[in-house]
Amino acid sequence: MNGQIRNDARSGDALLRIENGSFAYKSGPQILKDINIELDPGEILAVLGPNGAGKTTLLRCMMDMLHWQSGRSLLDGEDIRSIPASKLWRRMAYVPQARSAAVSYTAFQTVLLGRSSRIGAFSAPSAEDMKVAESVMERLGISHLADKPCYAISGGELQMVLIARAMAAEPEILVLDEPESNLDFKNQLIVLDAMTALAAEGVACIFNTHYPAHALQRAGKALMLSKDGKSIFGETTGVVTEENIRHAFGVEALIGEVETPHNIMKNVVAVGISEDSAEGPAVRDETILASVTVIMRNNDHAALINSAFRDYNHLLIGRMGLPHRRSDKYIITVMLEGPAADIEALSHRLSLIPDISVKTTYE
Amino acid sequence: MSLRRDGRLGAAWIVILIVLPFIAAIIALGIGRMSIAPGEVFEVLRAALSGKHASSELIEKTVMQLRLPRIILAVLVGAGLSVSGCAFQSLFANPLATPDTLGVASGAAFGAALGILLGFNLIGIQLMGLAMGGFAVALTWLAGSGKDKGGLSYIVLSGIMIGSLFSALISFVKFAADAESQLPAITYWLMGGLDKANYRTLSLGAPVIIAGIVLFMLIRWRMNLLPLSDDEAKASGVNLRLLRGVTVVAATAITASCVSMCGQVGWVGLLIPHMCRMLFGNNHLSIVPASVSFGAVFMIIVDTLARSISAAEIPVSILTAMIGAPFFIVLMRRSGGWRI
Repeated sequence: MNGQIRNDARSGDALLRIENGSFAYKSGPQILKDINIELDPGEILAVLGPNGAGKTTLLRCMMDMLHWQSGRSLLDGEDIRSIPASKLWRRMAYVPQARSAAVSYTAFQTVLLGRSSRIGAFSAPSAEDMKVAESVMERLGISHLADKPCYAISGGELQMVLIARAMAAEPEILVLDEPESNLDFKNQLIVLDAMTALAAEGVACIFNTHYPAHALQRAGKALMLSKDGKSIFGETTGVVTEENIRHAFGVEALIGEVETPHNIMKNVVAVGISEDSAEGPAVRDETILASVTVIMRNNDHAALINSAFRDYNHLLIGRMGLPHRRSDKYIITVMLEGPAADIEALSHRLSLIPDISVKTTYE
Repeated sequence: MSLRRDGRLGAAWIVILIVLPFIAAIIALGIGRMSIAPGEVFEVLRAALSGKHASSELIEKTVMQLRLPRIILAVLVGAGLSVSGCAFQSLFANPLATPDTLGVASGAAFGAALGILLGFNLIGIQLMGLAMGGFAVALTWLAGSGKDKGGLSYIVLSGIMIGSLFSALISFVKFAADAESQLPAITYWLMGGLDKANYRTLSLGAPVIIAGIVLFMLIRWRMNLLPLSDDEAKASGVNLRLLRGVTVVAATAITASCVSMCGQVGWVGLLIPHMCRMLFGNNHLSIVPASVSFGAVFMIIVDTLARSISAAEIPVSILTAMIGAPFFIVLMRRSGGWRI
């Protein structure tokens, strides 16, 4: 409940917002009905939904590659349709599905193409453009691919090159269309880690995915689309629930937790196809006690941790911070009291921050 | 002379690409039924540039009136067809695309054949060629655009249809032509040849070709966006419709001008860009200037052979195919592989 109020208070200055977006293809059924989302810098939004529910359509409408029938997308409060393309695409960048990407150039030249909106029609890339492309590739750990043609590298490498191309535009918003599909286990991790790292630096990311678990493990916010056009948007822990998965996907799923040495990660296991589609999530508003312990392996993301605690200040009943000087690490324990859903949301938000370990103990 | 990371040509290649067409032209100016040494060619050219007459009037007339316009035409046609072939290959992301993909060449050839049938003079034939070439592309664009899905592949398909429609019209013109005088003229014209070159036809066709080539040279980095898929290209922040429109109009105008001056010259527009892609990769920063230069050189060589290996002039498209096909196969087998 409280989360909802905070969102409304902030809605005036969200970085990206979709207001009542609706879309249908000519002579087709209504695919997207009344979509509302908002996204702030550094947040990750996962878009989930079964095949044909309109995930890619949503991204294309949002970026004005397709036009909303009604509703609009706003960038810093300004309608995206009224922003000239060359300006829009300096602030927003798109990573297409690897299978629909052009592969004729070398990786470096592909990344350089990401600078297009900043290079005049009669000009070629400047030394500065080259430097940006080089540093983006280095940041993403793909400098060794620079001189290889894109048709001669692996799918995972190509996906990273496409992310680098998008980042070469130095955008505030990164839109990724199924970045981890068709990739093996390790490459999925590489791509998702890259996205998490970019978000930690302040880039807002939106990604389509077929994996509810990836939404839970990576995204603070989620939008779940179902085939009947209905959609649910909010904090991931409230959106990606067993009830909502049953309704949107028609799948009986169990959401469980896997304890890793550092964190507790959520995972989703599909157990069977469900016939009934129950409506609406159950609200968990009983008040419980919990404690969250965070160990920071370095100090890079202290601001993110503090802002998370600040946003949930009303739950805090005690806080203890302990710098461990010998190892230069920092341990924080907070005691919380409040609705189970809110505590879960805070603990989830912390778990998305890189380089820290988080565990929550419930009453 | 290894490839540069940014896709630009190295200094050595720039020098080669600029100097090579001049060397080829000067050698070609001396070759023919009357053999002229490069030194004498130089002297004639220097005299012409300074507004004086050369010592030998015969040599001056051969070089300046007979061979020079023909070599200028060869340079323009070779460079023009290569660069528009290169543009079409990238636009359609299709290695089989040629300057004729949208039916321009067939349209222009039909216009010229019709001009011959109606008894027009050279300028009239040229104008008919230009007009019908443009008309054919307009038809292709009308037939193929307006679909939401498919996009450029619809346009390629309708280009093939319109091309074959105009080929049928050419056959019809031949059928209707007088078998004694017009039919051989039309047939010979269709086989392509640069023998019709003179300064008057050049003054009509050259500005279009030169303007097209200059335009492609100016936008050559941006042409790298052409092979991208629709959404990728839109997300580059560049006006995609304008870029594609400019590319089609410029490549079409170049091709129609070439065909209207010298008939259908096959192969150049396919062979030369591929050769450049094998050498330099796909970056238009290098393959556009390379196509211009190599296209000009190739056409000078082929045309010089066409007019000098036998007493009768050999139609140039016979030679482009006879030289081009084996050359291309050797190159293809030697290179490691390339893609658009």
